[in-house]
Amino acid sequence: MKRPAPIGLFRAAFVLLGKDLLIEWRTRARLNALVFFSLSTLLLFSFALGPDTKLLERNAGGYLWLAILFASTLSMGESFRIEYENACLDGLRLAPADARAIFLAKAMGNTLLLVALGGLLIPVMVALYGVKVVLGVGPLLATLALGCMALAAPGTVYAAIASNARARDVLLPLLLFPLIVPALLASAKAMMLVLQGDPMNQLNSWFGLLGGFNLIYWGLGFALFPRVIED
Amino acid sequence: MGKFLRMALPPIALGLLVTGHYIGLAVAPPDREMGDVQRIMYAHVPAVWIALMALTINFICSVVYLFKPSWKTDSLAEASAEVGLLFGTVGVLLGAIWGRPTWGVYWTWDPRLTTAAILLVSYMGYMALRRFVEDPEKRAVWSAVVGIIAAVDLPIIWYSVKWWRSLHQVQSSPKTVDPEMVLPLRISAFAFLAFMILFILHRYRIALHERQAEVALPDALPTDGPQANRTPGVV
Amino acid sequence: MSALMTLTVLAQAAAGEVGSGRIQGGWGYVWVSYGITWGAFALYSLSLWLRRPKNSPAGPKE
Repeated sequence: MKRPAPIGLFRAAFVLLGKDLLIEWRTRARLNALVFFSLSTLLLFSFALGPDTKLLERNAGGYLWLAILFASTLSMGESFRIEYENACLDGLRLAPADARAIFLAKAMGNTLLLVALGGLLIPVMVALYGVKVVLGVGPLLATLALGCMALAAPGTVYAAIASNARARDVLLPLLLFPLIVPALLASAKAMMLVLQGDPMNQLNSWFGLLGGFNLIYWGLGFALFPRVIED
Repeated sequence: MGKFLRMALPPIALGLLVTGHYIGLAVAPPDREMGDVQRIMYAHVPAVWIALMALTINFICSVVYLFKPSWKTDSLAEASAEVGLLFGTVGVLLGAIWGRPTWGVYWTWDPRLTTAAILLVSYMGYMALRRFVEDPEKRAVWSAVVGIIAAVDLPIIWYSVKWWRSLHQVQSSPKTVDPEMVLPLRISAFAFLAFMILFILHRYRIALHERQAEVALPDALPTDGPQANRTPGVV
Repeated sequence: MSALMTLTVLAQAAAGEVGSGRIQGGWGYVWVSYGITWGAFALYSLSLWLRRPKNSPAGPKE
Protein backbone atom coordinates (compact mmCIF):
# COMPACT_ATOMS: atom_id res chain seq x y z
CA MET A 1 0.00 0.00 0.00
CA LYS A 2 2.75 2.39 0.94
CA ARG A 3 5.46 1.25 -1.40
CA PRO A 4 5.24 -0.61 -4.69
CA ALA A 5 7.95 -3.14 -3.85
CA PRO A 6 6.68 -6.69 -3.32
CA ILE A 7 5.86 -7.21 0.31
CA GLY A 8 6.95 -10.25 2.21
CA LEU A 9 5.08 -13.52 2.02
CA PHE A 10 3.86 -13.58 5.57
CA ARG A 11 2.95 -9.91 5.68
CA ALA A 12 0.95 -10.33 2.50
CA ALA A 13 -0.72 -13.38 3.95
CA PHE A 14 -1.70 -11.54 7.10
CA VAL A 15 -2.98 -8.54 5.17
CA LEU A 16 -5.16 -10.88 3.09
CA LEU A 17 -6.28 -12.74 6.17
CA GLY A 18 -7.25 -9.45 7.76
CA LYS A 19 -9.25 -8.56 4.67
CA ASP A 20 -11.10 -11.88 4.70
CA LEU A 21 -11.82 -11.67 8.39
CA LEU A 22 -13.08 -8.12 7.97
CA ILE A 23 -15.46 -9.21 5.20
CA GLU A 24 -16.61 -12.06 7.37
CA TRP A 25 -17.03 -9.82 10.39
CA ARG A 26 -19.03 -7.19 8.52
CA THR A 27 -21.68 -9.64 7.41
CA ARG A 28 -21.20 -12.58 9.75
CA ALA A 29 -23.41 -14.36 7.26
CA ARG A 30 -21.15 -17.31 6.74
CA LEU A 31 -20.50 -18.11 10.37
CA ASN A 32 -24.17 -17.73 11.26
CA ALA A 33 -25.26 -20.06 8.51
CA LEU A 34 -22.56 -22.56 9.42
CA VAL A 35 -23.47 -22.57 13.09
CA PHE A 36 -27.11 -23.31 12.39
CA PHE A 37 -26.26 -25.85 9.75
CA SER A 38 -23.96 -27.81 12.04
CA LEU A 39 -26.23 -27.48 15.05
CA SER A 40 -29.02 -29.06 13.10
CA THR A 41 -26.59 -31.75 11.93
CA LEU A 42 -25.79 -32.58 15.55
CA LEU A 43 -29.48 -32.71 16.35
CA LEU A 44 -30.19 -34.89 13.35
CA PHE A 45 -27.64 -37.45 14.44
CA SER A 46 -29.55 -37.98 17.64
CA PHE A 47 -32.83 -38.27 15.75
CA ALA A 48 -31.39 -40.68 13.23
CA LEU A 49 -29.95 -42.91 15.95
CA GLY A 50 -32.77 -42.79 18.42
CA PRO A 51 -32.64 -41.68 22.02
CA ASP A 52 -29.92 -44.13 23.04
CA THR A 53 -27.88 -41.84 25.26
CA LYS A 54 -25.10 -44.37 25.75
CA LEU A 55 -24.56 -44.65 22.02
CA LEU A 56 -24.62 -40.89 21.53
CA GLU A 57 -22.18 -40.38 24.35
CA ARG A 58 -19.78 -42.95 23.03
CA ASN A 59 -19.77 -41.59 19.49
CA ALA A 60 -20.00 -37.90 20.30
CA GLY A 61 -16.49 -37.13 19.00
CA GLY A 62 -17.25 -38.69 15.63
CA TYR A 63 -20.51 -36.80 15.24
CA LEU A 64 -18.84 -33.52 16.12
CA TRP A 65 -16.24 -34.05 13.41
CA LEU A 66 -18.83 -35.06 10.85
CA ALA A 67 -20.77 -31.90 11.60
CA ILE A 68 -17.62 -29.81 11.20
CA LEU A 69 -16.69 -31.64 8.00
CA PHE A 70 -20.09 -31.06 6.39
CA ALA A 71 -19.99 -27.44 7.41
CA SER A 72 -16.45 -27.09 6.09
CA THR A 73 -17.42 -28.01 2.54
CA LEU A 74 -19.98 -25.22 2.59
CA SER A 75 -17.65 -22.71 4.18
CA MET A 76 -14.62 -23.36 2.00
CA GLY A 77 -16.61 -23.23 -1.19
CA GLU A 78 -17.93 -19.88 -0.05
CA SER A 79 -14.46 -18.54 0.73
CA PHE A 80 -13.58 -18.65 -2.97
CA ARG A 81 -16.99 -17.80 -4.32
CA ILE A 82 -16.66 -14.31 -2.87
CA GLU A 83 -13.39 -13.91 -4.74
CA TYR A 84 -14.80 -14.99 -8.08
CA GLU A 85 -17.94 -12.95 -7.76
CA ASN A 86 -16.51 -9.59 -8.76
CA ALA A 87 -13.31 -10.94 -10.26
CA CYS A 88 -11.59 -10.15 -6.98
CA LEU A 89 -9.20 -13.01 -7.53
CA ASP A 90 -7.84 -11.30 -10.63
CA GLY A 91 -7.19 -8.26 -8.48
CA LEU A 92 -5.35 -10.37 -5.93
CA ARG A 93 -3.28 -11.96 -8.66
CA LEU A 94 -2.30 -8.58 -10.03
CA ALA A 95 -1.20 -7.33 -6.64
CA PRO A 96 2.57 -7.37 -6.12
CA ALA A 97 2.41 -10.24 -3.69
CA ASP A 98 3.28 -13.90 -3.76
CA ALA A 99 0.39 -16.10 -4.91
CA ARG A 100 1.28 -18.49 -2.14
CA ALA A 101 0.27 -15.79 0.32
CA ILE A 102 -3.28 -16.22 -0.95
CA PHE A 103 -3.14 -19.88 -0.03
CA LEU A 104 -1.81 -19.15 3.44
CA ALA A 105 -4.41 -16.46 4.03
CA LYS A 106 -7.32 -18.54 2.79
CA ALA A 107 -6.23 -21.67 4.61
CA MET A 108 -5.67 -19.77 7.83
CA GLY A 109 -9.01 -18.02 7.44
CA ASN A 110 -10.78 -21.32 6.87
CA THR A 111 -9.00 -22.84 9.85
CA LEU A 112 -10.01 -19.96 12.09
CA LEU A 113 -13.61 -20.16 10.96
CA LEU A 114 -13.74 -23.90 11.59
CA VAL A 115 -12.09 -23.54 14.98
CA ALA A 116 -14.62 -20.85 15.91
CA LEU A 117 -17.41 -23.13 14.73
CA GLY A 118 -15.98 -26.03 16.71
CA GLY A 119 -15.64 -23.84 19.77
CA LEU A 120 -19.33 -23.05 19.56
CA LEU A 121 -20.33 -26.62 18.84
CA ILE A 122 -18.40 -28.32 21.63
CA PRO A 123 -20.46 -26.90 24.51
CA VAL A 124 -23.61 -27.79 22.62
CA MET A 125 -22.32 -31.29 22.05
CA VAL A 126 -21.41 -31.65 25.71
CA ALA A 127 -24.94 -30.65 26.65
CA LEU A 128 -26.78 -32.57 23.93
CA TYR A 129 -24.97 -35.86 24.20
CA GLY A 130 -24.15 -35.65 27.89
CA VAL A 131 -20.41 -36.20 27.56
CA LYS A 132 -17.63 -35.33 29.97
CA VAL A 133 -14.35 -33.87 28.83
CA VAL A 134 -12.08 -36.22 30.73
CA LEU A 135 -8.69 -34.97 29.57
CA GLY A 136 -9.47 -31.29 30.02
CA VAL A 137 -9.57 -28.27 27.78
CA GLY A 138 -5.96 -28.24 26.59
CA PRO A 139 -6.00 -31.50 24.60
CA LEU A 140 -9.51 -30.66 23.45
CA LEU A 141 -8.41 -27.41 21.87
CA ALA A 142 -5.29 -29.04 20.45
CA THR A 143 -7.44 -31.69 18.75
CA LEU A 144 -9.80 -29.07 17.44
CA ALA A 145 -7.00 -26.89 16.05
CA LEU A 146 -5.06 -29.74 14.45
CA GLY A 147 -8.18 -31.28 12.96
CA CYS A 148 -9.44 -28.01 11.53
CA MET A 149 -6.03 -27.28 10.03
CA ALA A 150 -6.02 -30.72 8.45
CA LEU A 151 -9.42 -30.08 6.87
CA ALA A 152 -8.58 -26.55 5.78
CA ALA A 153 -5.32 -27.09 3.89
CA PRO A 154 -6.46 -29.57 1.24
CA GLY A 155 -9.94 -28.06 1.38
CA THR A 156 -8.60 -24.66 0.36
CA VAL A 157 -6.81 -26.06 -2.67
CA TYR A 158 -9.83 -28.06 -3.75
CA ALA A 159 -12.23 -25.21 -3.09
CA ALA A 160 -10.17 -22.97 -5.35
CA ILE A 161 -10.48 -25.60 -8.06
CA ALA A 162 -14.10 -26.54 -7.53
CA SER A 163 -15.46 -23.02 -7.19
CA ASN A 164 -14.46 -22.31 -10.76
CA ALA A 165 -15.78 -25.52 -12.25
CA ARG A 166 -19.21 -26.62 -13.29
CA ALA A 167 -21.24 -28.38 -10.58
CA ARG A 168 -19.00 -26.94 -7.90
CA ASP A 169 -21.30 -27.91 -5.06
CA VAL A 170 -20.97 -31.55 -5.98
CA LEU A 171 -17.33 -31.45 -6.93
CA LEU A 172 -15.85 -30.18 -3.67
CA PRO A 173 -17.20 -32.95 -1.43
CA LEU A 174 -16.47 -35.50 -4.14
CA LEU A 175 -12.82 -34.50 -4.19
CA LEU A 176 -12.41 -33.67 -0.53
CA PHE A 177 -14.15 -36.50 1.32
CA PRO A 178 -11.92 -39.35 0.21
CA LEU A 179 -8.84 -37.20 0.70
CA ILE A 180 -9.42 -36.26 4.30
CA VAL A 181 -10.27 -39.76 5.50
CA PRO A 182 -7.02 -40.02 7.50
CA ALA A 183 -7.57 -36.61 9.06
CA LEU A 184 -11.18 -37.36 9.95
CA LEU A 185 -10.23 -40.72 11.36
CA ALA A 186 -7.43 -39.32 13.48
CA SER A 187 -9.32 -36.30 14.77
CA ALA A 188 -12.46 -38.27 15.59
CA LYS A 189 -10.38 -40.86 17.38
CA ALA A 190 -8.41 -38.20 19.25
CA MET A 191 -11.63 -36.41 20.20
CA MET A 192 -13.11 -39.60 21.59
CA LEU A 193 -9.97 -40.17 23.65
CA VAL A 194 -10.15 -36.61 24.93
CA LEU A 195 -13.78 -37.08 25.91
CA GLN A 196 -13.51 -40.54 27.39
CA GLY A 197 -10.01 -40.69 28.78
CA ASP A 198 -6.88 -42.19 27.37
CA PRO A 199 -5.81 -45.15 29.51
CA MET A 200 -3.52 -46.63 26.88
CA ASN A 201 -1.81 -43.40 25.94
CA GLN A 202 -2.84 -43.46 22.29
CA LEU A 203 -3.58 -39.79 21.97
CA ASN A 204 -0.06 -38.84 20.99
CA SER A 205 0.07 -41.22 18.04
CA TRP A 206 -3.14 -39.71 16.65
CA PHE A 207 -1.72 -36.24 17.18
CA GLY A 208 1.36 -37.45 15.32
CA LEU A 209 -0.77 -38.59 12.41
CA LEU A 210 -2.64 -35.30 12.33
CA GLY A 211 0.63 -33.40 12.54
CA GLY A 212 2.11 -35.34 9.65
CA PHE A 213 -1.03 -34.89 7.57
CA ASN A 214 -0.95 -31.17 8.24
CA LEU A 215 2.71 -30.92 7.36
CA ILE A 216 2.25 -32.75 4.07
CA TYR A 217 -0.86 -30.92 2.94
CA TRP A 218 0.10 -27.44 4.06
CA GLY A 219 3.37 -28.03 2.20
CA LEU A 220 1.67 -29.42 -0.91
CA GLY A 221 -0.94 -26.69 -0.92
CA PHE A 222 1.72 -24.04 -0.48
CA ALA A 223 3.70 -25.42 -3.40
CA LEU A 224 0.84 -26.20 -5.78
CA PHE A 225 -1.60 -23.39 -5.11
CA PRO A 226 0.03 -20.81 -7.43
CA ARG A 227 -0.52 -23.24 -10.30
CA VAL A 228 -4.17 -23.66 -9.36
CA ILE A 229 -5.06 -20.00 -9.61
CA GLU A 230 -2.76 -19.00 -12.44
CA ASP A 231 -4.49 -17.80 -15.55
CA MET B 1 5.74 -48.63 -33.40
CA GLY B 2 2.27 -47.53 -32.41
CA LYS B 3 0.79 -49.34 -35.36
CA PHE B 4 2.69 -52.52 -34.55
CA LEU B 5 1.54 -52.37 -30.96
CA ARG B 6 -2.05 -51.84 -31.99
CA MET B 7 -1.99 -54.77 -34.40
CA ALA B 8 0.06 -57.22 -32.36
CA LEU B 9 -1.07 -56.45 -28.86
CA PRO B 10 -4.73 -57.59 -28.98
CA PRO B 11 -3.90 -61.20 -29.97
CA ILE B 12 -1.01 -61.29 -27.50
CA ALA B 13 -3.18 -59.99 -24.68
CA LEU B 14 -6.03 -62.30 -25.49
CA GLY B 15 -3.74 -65.30 -25.85
CA LEU B 16 -2.05 -64.62 -22.53
CA LEU B 17 -5.40 -64.12 -20.83
CA VAL B 18 -6.84 -67.35 -22.15
CA THR B 19 -3.69 -69.30 -21.25
CA GLY B 20 -3.34 -67.79 -17.80
CA HIS B 21 -6.95 -68.18 -16.85
CA TYR B 22 -7.16 -71.67 -18.35
CA ILE B 23 -4.21 -72.86 -16.27
CA GLY B 24 -5.62 -71.05 -13.27
CA LEU B 25 -9.10 -72.50 -13.61
CA ALA B 26 -8.38 -76.00 -14.85
CA VAL B 27 -4.77 -77.02 -14.25
CA ALA B 28 -3.60 -75.38 -11.02
CA PRO B 29 -4.45 -77.29 -7.83
CA PRO B 30 -7.14 -75.94 -5.51
CA ASP B 31 -5.94 -74.22 -2.38
CA ARG B 32 -5.49 -76.29 0.76
CA GLU B 33 -7.78 -74.12 2.82
CA MET B 34 -9.83 -72.12 0.42
CA GLY B 35 -10.49 -74.83 -2.14
CA ASP B 36 -11.53 -73.79 -5.61
CA VAL B 37 -12.60 -70.36 -4.46
CA GLN B 38 -8.93 -69.47 -4.33
CA ARG B 39 -8.90 -69.47 -8.14
CA ILE B 40 -10.33 -65.97 -8.00
CA MET B 41 -6.77 -64.94 -7.17
CA TYR B 42 -5.66 -65.25 -10.80
CA ALA B 43 -7.99 -62.44 -11.76
CA HIS B 44 -8.09 -60.44 -8.53
CA VAL B 45 -4.40 -60.03 -7.77
CA PRO B 46 -3.28 -59.01 -11.28
CA ALA B 47 -6.18 -56.56 -11.50
CA VAL B 48 -5.03 -54.80 -8.35
CA TRP B 49 -1.38 -54.81 -9.42
CA ILE B 50 -2.21 -53.36 -12.79
CA ALA B 51 -4.53 -50.76 -11.28
CA LEU B 52 -1.71 -49.57 -9.06
CA MET B 53 0.62 -49.47 -12.04
CA ALA B 54 -1.81 -47.41 -14.10
CA LEU B 55 -2.34 -44.97 -11.24
CA THR B 56 1.41 -44.69 -10.81
CA ILE B 57 1.60 -43.68 -14.46
CA ASN B 58 -1.09 -41.12 -13.71
CA PHE B 59 0.94 -39.71 -10.83
CA ILE B 60 4.10 -39.48 -12.94
CA CYS B 61 2.17 -37.74 -15.73
CA SER B 62 0.68 -35.30 -13.24
CA VAL B 63 4.09 -34.33 -11.89
CA VAL B 64 5.61 -34.09 -15.35
CA TYR B 65 2.73 -31.96 -16.59
CA LEU B 66 3.25 -29.32 -13.93
CA PHE B 67 6.90 -28.97 -14.90
CA LYS B 68 6.49 -29.30 -18.63
CA PRO B 69 2.95 -28.80 -19.91
CA SER B 70 2.03 -30.85 -22.93
CA TRP B 71 -1.24 -32.20 -24.28
CA LYS B 72 0.34 -35.60 -24.64
CA THR B 73 1.13 -35.84 -20.93
CA ASP B 74 -2.33 -34.62 -20.07
CA SER B 75 -3.96 -37.16 -22.37
CA LEU B 76 -1.84 -39.96 -20.96
CA ALA B 77 -2.83 -38.89 -17.44
CA GLU B 78 -6.51 -39.03 -18.39
CA ALA B 79 -6.12 -42.41 -20.08
CA SER B 80 -4.17 -43.99 -17.23
CA ALA B 81 -6.61 -42.73 -14.60
CA GLU B 82 -9.59 -44.19 -16.41
CA VAL B 83 -7.90 -47.52 -17.08
CA GLY B 84 -6.62 -47.65 -13.51
CA LEU B 85 -10.15 -47.04 -12.30
CA LEU B 86 -11.40 -49.91 -14.48
CA PHE B 87 -8.85 -52.39 -13.15
CA GLY B 88 -9.26 -51.12 -9.62
CA THR B 89 -13.02 -51.57 -9.75
CA VAL B 90 -12.62 -55.12 -11.02
CA GLY B 91 -10.07 -55.81 -8.29
CA VAL B 92 -12.24 -54.49 -5.48
CA LEU B 93 -15.37 -56.28 -6.73
CA LEU B 94 -13.49 -59.55 -7.00
CA GLY B 95 -12.01 -59.04 -3.58
CA ALA B 96 -15.47 -58.58 -2.12
CA ILE B 97 -16.76 -61.70 -3.88
CA TRP B 98 -13.76 -63.66 -2.68
CA GLY B 99 -14.35 -62.41 0.84
CA ARG B 100 -17.86 -63.86 0.98
CA PRO B 101 -16.92 -67.57 1.07
CA THR B 102 -13.61 -67.12 2.90
CA TRP B 103 -14.42 -64.54 5.55
CA GLY B 104 -18.18 -64.96 5.51
CA VAL B 105 -18.76 -61.31 4.62
CA TYR B 106 -18.40 -59.24 1.49
CA TRP B 107 -16.66 -56.45 3.28
CA THR B 108 -14.36 -56.03 6.23
CA TRP B 109 -12.69 -52.84 7.28
CA ASP B 110 -9.23 -54.14 6.80
CA PRO B 111 -6.63 -51.62 5.65
CA ARG B 112 -6.26 -53.09 2.21
CA LEU B 113 -9.94 -53.06 1.34
CA THR B 114 -10.57 -49.69 2.89
CA THR B 115 -7.64 -48.08 1.14
CA ALA B 116 -8.73 -49.62 -2.16
CA ALA B 117 -12.26 -48.31 -1.75
CA ILE B 118 -11.06 -44.81 -0.92
CA LEU B 119 -8.68 -45.00 -3.87
CA LEU B 120 -11.59 -45.75 -6.20
CA VAL B 121 -13.64 -42.86 -4.85
CA SER B 122 -10.65 -40.50 -5.13
CA TYR B 123 -10.11 -41.28 -8.78
CA MET B 124 -13.82 -41.10 -9.53
CA GLY B 125 -13.58 -37.56 -8.19
CA TYR B 126 -10.59 -37.02 -10.45
CA MET B 127 -12.53 -38.18 -13.50
CA ALA B 128 -15.52 -36.06 -12.47
CA LEU B 129 -13.26 -33.03 -12.24
CA ARG B 130 -12.01 -33.67 -15.75
CA ARG B 131 -15.57 -33.83 -16.94
CA PHE B 132 -16.70 -30.68 -15.14
CA VAL B 133 -14.01 -28.29 -16.38
CA GLU B 134 -14.32 -27.14 -19.96
CA ASP B 135 -11.21 -25.03 -20.36
CA PRO B 136 -8.61 -27.58 -21.49
CA GLU B 137 -5.62 -25.80 -19.97
CA LYS B 138 -7.24 -25.29 -16.59
CA ARG B 139 -8.51 -28.84 -16.66
CA ALA B 140 -5.01 -30.13 -17.30
CA VAL B 141 -3.37 -28.11 -14.52
CA TRP B 142 -6.10 -28.77 -11.98
CA SER B 143 -6.31 -32.46 -12.65
CA ALA B 144 -2.52 -32.68 -12.36
CA VAL B 145 -2.74 -31.01 -8.95
CA VAL B 146 -5.56 -33.31 -7.88
CA GLY B 147 -3.70 -36.34 -9.22
CA ILE B 148 -0.65 -35.49 -7.11
CA ILE B 149 -2.66 -34.76 -3.98
CA ALA B 150 -4.71 -37.95 -4.33
CA ALA B 151 -1.64 -40.12 -4.90
CA VAL B 152 0.18 -38.66 -1.91
CA ASP B 153 -2.85 -39.45 0.22
CA LEU B 154 -2.81 -43.20 -0.43
CA PRO B 155 0.06 -44.18 1.89
CA ILE B 156 -1.38 -41.94 4.61
CA ILE B 157 -4.77 -43.62 4.31
CA TRP B 158 -3.09 -46.99 4.43
CA TYR B 159 -1.25 -46.28 7.67
CA SER B 160 -4.11 -44.47 9.33
CA VAL B 161 -6.55 -47.29 8.65
CA LYS B 162 -3.96 -49.76 9.85
CA TRP B 163 -3.61 -47.92 13.15
CA TRP B 164 -7.33 -47.48 13.42
CA ARG B 165 -7.93 -51.19 12.93
CA SER B 166 -5.08 -52.34 15.10
CA LEU B 167 -6.93 -51.02 18.10
CA HIS B 168 -9.69 -53.54 17.44
CA GLN B 169 -8.13 -56.61 15.92
CA VAL B 170 -5.14 -57.73 14.01
CA GLN B 171 -5.79 -58.89 10.48
CA SER B 172 -3.64 -61.92 9.90
CA SER B 173 -3.89 -63.89 6.71
CA PRO B 174 -0.39 -64.65 5.49
CA LYS B 175 -0.96 -66.27 2.12
CA THR B 176 1.91 -68.41 1.01
CA VAL B 177 1.61 -68.92 -2.68
CA ASP B 178 2.26 -72.43 -3.95
CA PRO B 179 4.79 -72.68 -6.80
CA GLU B 180 2.13 -74.29 -8.96
CA MET B 181 0.00 -71.20 -8.50
CA VAL B 182 2.80 -68.85 -9.47
CA LEU B 183 2.74 -69.74 -13.14
CA PRO B 184 -0.92 -68.92 -13.88
CA LEU B 185 -0.63 -65.86 -11.67
CA ARG B 186 2.36 -64.64 -13.62
CA ILE B 187 0.80 -65.30 -17.01
CA SER B 188 -2.42 -63.58 -15.96
CA ALA B 189 -0.44 -60.61 -14.70
CA PHE B 190 1.27 -60.23 -18.06
CA ALA B 191 -2.08 -60.62 -19.82
CA PHE B 192 -3.54 -57.83 -17.71
CA LEU B 193 -0.45 -55.74 -18.36
CA ALA B 194 -0.94 -56.20 -22.09
CA PHE B 195 -4.59 -55.21 -21.75
CA MET B 196 -3.59 -52.16 -19.73
CA ILE B 197 -1.14 -51.01 -22.40
CA LEU B 198 -3.73 -51.64 -25.09
CA PHE B 199 -6.49 -49.80 -23.27
CA ILE B 200 -4.28 -46.88 -22.32
CA LEU B 201 -2.98 -46.61 -25.87
CA HIS B 202 -6.46 -46.38 -27.35
CA ARG B 203 -7.80 -44.16 -24.60
CA TYR B 204 -4.78 -41.92 -25.04
CA ARG B 205 -5.51 -41.51 -28.73
CA ILE B 206 -9.10 -40.58 -27.97
CA ALA B 207 -8.02 -38.06 -25.34
CA LEU B 208 -5.36 -36.53 -27.53
CA HIS B 209 -7.83 -36.22 -30.37
CA GLU B 210 -10.31 -34.47 -28.09
CA ARG B 211 -7.59 -32.10 -26.84
CA GLN B 212 -6.58 -31.19 -30.37
CA ALA B 213 -10.17 -30.56 -31.34
CA GLU B 214 -10.66 -28.37 -28.27
CA VAL B 215 -7.50 -26.38 -28.84
CA ALA B 216 -8.13 -26.00 -32.56
CA LEU B 217 -11.28 -23.99 -32.01
CA PRO B 218 -10.82 -22.09 -28.79
CA ASP B 219 -13.51 -19.48 -29.28
CA ALA B 220 -15.77 -21.28 -31.67
CA LEU B 221 -17.74 -22.93 -28.89
CA PRO B 222 -20.21 -20.18 -28.03
CA THR B 223 -21.32 -20.27 -24.41
CA ASP B 224 -20.12 -23.69 -23.39
CA GLY B 225 -16.60 -22.40 -23.26
CA PRO B 226 -14.67 -21.20 -20.25
CA GLN B 227 -16.84 -18.10 -20.03
CA ALA B 228 -19.73 -20.14 -18.77
CA ASN B 229 -17.74 -21.09 -15.71
CA ARG B 230 -17.62 -17.57 -14.46
CA THR B 231 -20.37 -16.23 -12.33
CA PRO B 232 -22.74 -13.86 -14.08
CA GLY B 233 -21.20 -10.80 -12.47
CA VAL B 234 -18.07 -11.16 -14.55
CA VAL B 235 -18.09 -9.70 -18.00
CA MET C 1 3.51 -83.06 29.86
CA SER C 2 0.79 -85.38 28.74
CA ALA C 3 -1.57 -82.43 28.57
CA LEU C 4 0.81 -80.75 26.18
CA MET C 5 0.92 -83.92 24.07
CA THR C 6 -2.84 -84.06 23.95
CA LEU C 7 -3.00 -80.45 22.91
CA THR C 8 -0.46 -81.04 20.14
CA VAL C 9 -2.40 -84.02 18.85
CA LEU C 10 -5.61 -82.03 18.98
CA ALA C 11 -4.01 -79.15 17.14
CA GLN C 12 -2.72 -81.46 14.45
CA ALA C 13 -6.12 -83.06 14.11
CA ALA C 14 -7.68 -79.63 13.76
CA ALA C 15 -5.08 -78.66 11.19
CA GLY C 16 -5.84 -81.81 9.23
CA GLU C 17 -9.50 -80.97 9.29
CA VAL C 18 -8.78 -77.51 7.97
CA GLY C 19 -6.40 -78.87 5.38
CA SER C 20 -8.90 -81.17 3.72
CA GLY C 21 -10.67 -78.37 1.91
CA ARG C 22 -12.64 -76.37 4.40
CA ILE C 23 -14.50 -74.58 1.65
CA GLN C 24 -16.22 -77.01 -0.66
CA GLY C 25 -17.32 -76.02 -4.09
CA GLY C 26 -17.73 -72.30 -4.43
CA TRP C 27 -17.40 -72.44 -8.21
CA GLY C 28 -20.28 -70.03 -8.42
CA TYR C 29 -18.14 -67.32 -6.87
CA VAL C 30 -15.31 -68.15 -9.23
CA TRP C 31 -17.45 -67.94 -12.33
CA VAL C 32 -19.04 -64.69 -11.22
CA SER C 33 -15.58 -63.24 -10.64
CA TYR C 34 -14.21 -64.26 -14.00
CA GLY C 35 -17.43 -63.16 -15.64
CA ILE C 36 -17.02 -59.70 -14.14
CA THR C 37 -13.41 -59.54 -15.28
CA TRP C 38 -14.03 -60.64 -18.84
CA GLY C 39 -17.21 -58.62 -19.05
CA ALA C 40 -15.44 -55.50 -17.86
CA PHE C 41 -12.68 -55.94 -20.43
CA ALA C 42 -15.18 -56.56 -23.21
CA LEU C 43 -17.38 -53.63 -22.27
CA TYR C 44 -14.43 -51.29 -21.93
CA SER C 45 -13.09 -52.37 -25.31
CA LEU C 46 -16.52 -51.72 -26.76
CA SER C 47 -16.67 -48.28 -25.18
CA LEU C 48 -13.22 -47.45 -26.55
CA TRP C 49 -14.40 -48.56 -29.97
CA LEU C 50 -17.50 -46.41 -29.73
CA ARG C 51 -15.47 -43.39 -28.62
CA ARG C 52 -12.79 -43.84 -31.31
CA PRO C 53 -11.67 -40.62 -32.99
CA LYS C 54 -13.96 -40.02 -35.91
CA ASN C 55 -13.68 -37.85 -39.03
CA SER C 56 -10.24 -36.60 -38.13
CA PRO C 57 -9.39 -33.81 -40.56
CA ALA C 58 -5.95 -35.10 -41.54
CA GLY C 59 -6.52 -38.81 -41.31
CA PRO C 60 -4.83 -40.92 -38.65
CA LYS C 61 -2.33 -38.94 -36.67
CA GLU C 62 0.59 -41.32 -36.39
